[in-house]
Amino acid sequence: MLTRYGSLLFATGFAFLLFSLFIALPMGEPPTLAGQAILNEAANSVGAANIVTSVVLAYRGIDTLGELSILFAAATAVGLVLGGQARAPRPSKEDGAGGFILQTGVDLLFPLLLVVGFYIILHGHLTPGGGFQGGVVLAAALVLPVLARPEESPSPAALAWVEGLAGAAFIATGLAALAYDHAFLTPLLGAGQLGDLFSAGTLPLLYLAVGLKVGAELAKLLLRLAEEGPAA
Amino acid sequence: MIALTVALPLLAAFLLPLLPALARQFLGPLVLLAVAAFGLCLAGNALDAPSVVAIGDFRPPLGIVFYADGVAGLFVFAIAVVTLLLWPCATPNGQPDPQITRKHSLTLLMAAASCALALSGDLFNIYVFYELAAVAGYGLAAGSRTPAAQVATFRFTLLGSLGSLLALIGITLIYFRAGSLNLAHLAELAPSTLHDPLGLAGFLLILLGFGVKSELFLVNSWAPEVYATAESRVSALLAGLISKLALLAVVRLLVLVFPVPEASQLLLVLGMLGILTGELAAYRARDFRRLLAWSSIGQLGAAFVAFAIPGPAGLMAGIAVALHHLMVKPALFLLAERWGGNLAQLAGAARNSPIAAALFVLFALSLIGVPPLPGFWAKYLLLSGLAGEPAGLWWLAGLVVLTTTVVEAVYLFRIIGTLYGHQQGSVMQSRTATTGSGIFALLLVGTALSAPLLAAPLQKMATQLADTDGYVAQVISATITAPQRSGTAP
Repeated sequence: MLTRYGSLLFATGFAFLLFSLFIALPMGEPPTLAGQAILNEAANSVGAANIVTSVVLAYRGIDTLGELSILFAAATAVGLVLGGQARAPRPSKEDGAGGFILQTGVDLLFPLLLVVGFYIILHGHLTPGGGFQGGVVLAAALVLPVLARPEESPSPAALAWVEGLAGAAFIATGLAALAYDHAFLTPLLGAGQLGDLFSAGTLPLLYLAVGLKVGAELAKLLLRLAEEGPAA
Repeated sequence: MIALTVALPLLAAFLLPLLPALARQFLGPLVLLAVAAFGLCLAGNALDAPSVVAIGDFRPPLGIVFYADGVAGLFVFAIAVVTLLLWPCATPNGQPDPQITRKHSLTLLMAAASCALALSGDLFNIYVFYELAAVAGYGLAAGSRTPAAQVATFRFTLLGSLGSLLALIGITLIYFRAGSLNLAHLAELAPSTLHDPLGLAGFLLILLGFGVKSELFLVNSWAPEVYATAESRVSALLAGLISKLALLAVVRLLVLVFPVPEASQLLLVLGMLGILTGELAAYRARDFRRLLAWSSIGQLGAAFVAFAIPGPAGLMAGIAVALHHLMVKPALFLLAERWGGNLAQLAGAARNSPIAAALFVLFALSLIGVPPLPGFWAKYLLLSGLAGEPAGLWWLAGLVVLTTTVVEAVYLFRIIGTLYGHQQGSVMQSRTATTGSGIFALLLVGTALSAPLLAAPLQKMATQLADTDGYVAQVISATITAPQRSGTAP
């Protein structure tokens, strides 16, 4: 009982703290010095029509590398916690299979999802979207068939290869800049024509690596959780 | 070279699960050796002048910079060496561990994140890599797979997430007020925009957030539970290494952006409470690893107190306390790996393992602060720094440090008494070798012998760390290797 009141007191105090901070904030335009400077020069110096992408992959590329690593660390940690427990036997064809509607729907959706996923990834430097968003769509494309035909799940080993090589490709692209006497993660290949599919230098390649890594990682994570489900 | 200290361990961590078994064993240690060499180079170069690299070749307030001064170089070196000494054992209890590759990957991720924390000059970048170190830490802490460890890790994760949330709110507040995330740029903007209650609230939130990992008073309740249940090597990594890096990030913020008395006093009071609670709880502890955890909270409190002292003297004391703790605590956790947790079972253990007992005595004496050992110099610097400040809270802190030293001596000597006692406890025969803690002991003795030689470089590093103007000038004038890219086709 006491802990419950304690939690309530804590939550109220925390809410009050945030509220008073919010009240104290001055109204009007906050001085976004860095943000405004990037808005002014990003289109010219990076060449990505989507300014968010030039921040995510060029100006703050190493943050994105960090985010990728966090996702990788989380997936690895889940593997560490769950792995090695008694696995449920792989479902046989009879008990796991979805009905006709599910199977046909999945057959129709699978190619569509793949196309949409890759489209979002490859146009990340032009339109809203990019590697993270497209990667999630790819993961959905990979997991959906498992619902319809559990016996045909993609092999975890193949996903691990895609995941590892995509992550390595991101870092390798960054390291390639060192060979040209630039700093780590400098965009190469020139900025190109603003708005073209082939523009913004290596940024689309980086986003492709991000998308493949996120897709493979999430798919692997979901498949692992699905595998653990019946056992628990 | 600066960015490689982060990029190489990350690359190795990504590729580790794909490699053949033989290459898996050697890749991690090799990468760590390379990082150690880089760290030494960086520290050596920084004694002349700190080096700066603008990641992605974007001019500093816009892009992210890595700034390698002496302290950062030294910490990169220490990260690599300590991680190497605490490298997860492939055959614990004689059986191969099926999860070892995942543990190695997480350890490498943690090392990379730690290097980035030491080097980064951007507030949000620090947050990202703090988060990476945190997530890798949760994974490793749960890695012993006992129910107790999983419960402890779950609480750790909740508290850690709350801390990350607080830090993020703090960073948002600072960006909202000042409009930049680059530490050098913030240092210039701070006097006009951040030295008011709102800015200080931002600092407090970041302090509490990063304080979760650096075992700050109020947000350290996870530590005893996690350290007692996780594998000893993981406890050693978290207590020895990650806590210091989170602390270093807070110190950079304190020195560069918030050099105001209110911020220092905050550190002083929280640090003092940390020393008091930590040492008193350690006195009551009946479990070896819990005792180490509480004593670690006390030591980190002392480091917070030291860093609160304004000027190079305080920074030097803080670096000394942190480095000393970095050498001693992992070694003690390695001994705990050998002896297990229960203190009562340690009776007469000196007869079974005389070397381990002797090593324990050495580390205990250094923790207490017996003269020729480095612990004495750390406490001496801390106390003389505190004595140099005006009376009041500072002297009270000095009194707290002196009093708790007595408490520390009592509980450590109690263990030494048990170890060398006549009763025969039921301690099991040694499970692991003492090589790891032996190397730490050699480092400790080496430091003790070369203390006069180390004073000058340490002084230099502290001066560099305190030199806000130098930091700003170095970062703002960072050389961009590429000419500004234009919008034309290649």
